[in-house]
Amino acid sequence: MDKNKDKVKVKKEISIIHPRPSSIVAALYTLRDLNVDVAILHGPPGCSFKHARLLEEDGIHVVTTSLDENGFVFGGHDELVALLEKVSEMFDPKLIGIVGTCVSMIIGEELHDAVLEANPDVPVIEVEVHAGYRNNTKGVLLALESALDSGIISENEFDRQKDLLEEATMVEKRHGAASKEYLAPSRGDLKYKIAQRIIDLLKEGKRGIVIMNAKKETGYMFADITVAVNEIAKQLGVGSNIINMANLDATLGLPRVRHHAKCIMDDLEERGIVIHENIGGLDEYPIAGNVAGKLIEEKYSDYDFAVITGVPHAIPMDSISGMEIISVTNGPRQVLPLKEMGHKYVIVEIDLHPKTLGINHIVESEFGATLREVAKEV
Amino acid sequence: MGDDMSNNPNGQKKPKVIAIYGKGGIGKSSTASNVAAACADEGYKVMIIGCDPKSDSSITLLGGKRIPTILDLIRSGVEITENDVVFEGYNGVKCVEVGGPEPGIGCAGRGIIVAIQKLKKISTAQDICDLVIYDVPGDIVCGGFVAPIRKGLVSEAYVLTSGEYMPLYAANNICRGLSKINTPLSGVICNARNVSREEEIVSKFAEEIGSELISFIPKEQIVQDCERDGFSVMEKAPDSEIAQVYRNLARAIMSRNRSVMVKALEDERLRELTR
Ligand SMILES: Nc1ncnc2c1ncn2[C@@H]1O[C@H](COP(=O)(O)OP(=O)(O)OP(=O)(O)O)[C@@H](O)[C@H]1O
Ligand code: SF4
Ligand SMILES: [Mg+2]
Repeated sequence: MDKNKDKVKVKKEISIIHPRPSSIVAALYTLRDLNVDVAILHGPPGCSFKHARLLEEDGIHVVTTSLDENGFVFGGHDELVALLEKVSEMFDPKLIGIVGTCVSMIIGEELHDAVLEANPDVPVIEVEVHAGYRNNTKGVLLALESALDSGIISENEFDRQKDLLEEATMVEKRHGAASKEYLAPSRGDLKYKIAQRIIDLLKEGKRGIVIMNAKKETGYMFADITVAVNEIAKQLGVGSNIINMANLDATLGLPRVRHHAKCIMDDLEERGIVIHENIGGLDEYPIAGNVAGKLIEEKYSDYDFAVITGVPHAIPMDSISGMEIISVTNGPRQVLPLKEMGHKYVIVEIDLHPKTLGINHIVESEFGATLREVAKEV
Repeated sequence: MGDDMSNNPNGQKKPKVIAIYGKGGIGKSSTASNVAAACADEGYKVMIIGCDPKSDSSITLLGGKRIPTILDLIRSGVEITENDVVFEGYNGVKCVEVGGPEPGIGCAGRGIIVAIQKLKKISTAQDICDLVIYDVPGDIVCGGFVAPIRKGLVSEAYVLTSGEYMPLYAANNICRGLSKINTPLSGVICNARNVSREEEIVSKFAEEIGSELISFIPKEQIVQDCERDGFSVMEKAPDSEIAQVYRNLARAIMSRNRSVMVKALEDERLRELTR
């Protein structure tokens, strides 16, 4: 029967048991990229609190309607109206976002009704989202859809983002955090040993490619590794043995993301570092890896080693399998998949993300600092 | 959970705690309040706990008056004691209404869970009763509506149905649900809608699922007349024929000690029965 045939074709989705960031959080970060001044979580007081706090570091106000048991039973319409009025007064925002949660969505809260009633005189992006989606990119999509509806972004930008999200989901499924039912977190290889290895390679006159394929603001720290490797190569007199690639195209992405690309580029320039190949926008990490792969096949296939930072698993293995690969991730659950792909060394920048919020300059990474320290002894 | 009912302070035997399930509007609340009144007439201590957000379980025991609901009080944030939520109605029947949100807002199911937990904390009235009736709404749309059973409060479940296809379909579904949560059924009650061969159909249904028909309540205008005035039949028309039916049902429930795990019928068989 036809029906059965279809069933066979659809590969069964694996059931992933390690906790991971939710769609609610993804929606919050997207609202930040859309430059909202205030994001209101309509739900229980503790929902997404860790990320809410991080986002406050990044300069936006995150508040919650703090629904309690009464709110669960009787709904939280009045609370949401009151909070909309309060934040309008307290923060004088130009753009407000409202994000749903499991609770408010299960009981069928209408975010729009509250907006109509409070009637703030600035646009409001309403995101009806909860944490129960298989892929948290759904939260991004829902936020973008709402932004499109309220005219905050263009149809073109929406389509572009949508394609990127689909790619991002695929990247995670292939070799990322969604690739296995369970991924144990790992701290990866010892930084000083790998620093030593890179220095040895440079000393031996080996040629290397440094690829930064970073997700948005994480570039502020991953770029430091690019800087450190170049500094040391220069110090050893082999600066020209390094090719730099980075996804730092400042003409692409949501306003905030473009701004990050520009800031990082300016910093690199100031430090005399040339990005030989600009492989895409800071939000193009799911596809920039393919661009890098092509370039390598065309021009750099005979290079000896590659240092890949950010989202290293998005670089296709075919193009780099002949090289010694050192990758740097900020995801402790990413170590295993990277090793399985064939990356020889994997380093984790623990807690990278919090340090890249609320800044507009490159910050020192632990691995960058280690490289510099070890290089001193040379 | 729910075990503390056995530690009855007076050393009495455990109260009989029942719930009547059935399709929405089939007559659960009017049956429950008439049974409650009939049992009180027999000298039993009775309590009725309305678990319906529309709070209509106890009106006819309170002369048409409404009482404050548990959830209203919880919402207002005041400290609640037993006296605030347990009210005496006809012949000493204790009446409680859980209450809940307006239709279409919030979550009534969660409301039931919160309210019955609250009641358990603040009230021991249930423990000194002979019969406690949980009156639940017809459509068990989410887990909250079976909380009285799930949380081990209810010890006997009854199903109320007419001989029409849809109410039987609902009753059958409820039976499926009961066996899924490992709860036996104590009997089937027929609340007539005057369809042909009604008693035969419901009786057959009861038998085939493995239970039995314990009462056939005729459809009588007087039920609605009394209800309109804010009373049970037992109070307003104690000499009516139907009052005697409720009296017999009350006795049947009080003396009943047989409950069985039932097996729901296939839909095809159900259709055949009503054909
Ligand atoms: N035997 C009867 N004869 C005549 N009318 C009846 C009989 N039983 C119930 N009714 C009437 O049917 C109507 C619905 O009954 P009731 O409110 O008790 O149903 P219910 O099952 O509790 O509904 P819900 O599922 O909404 O809680 C009421 O007006 C009631 O008076
Ligand atoms: S369950 Fe949902 S609503 Fe509750 S805290 Fe978690 S993410 Fe928030
Ligand atoms: Mg009812």
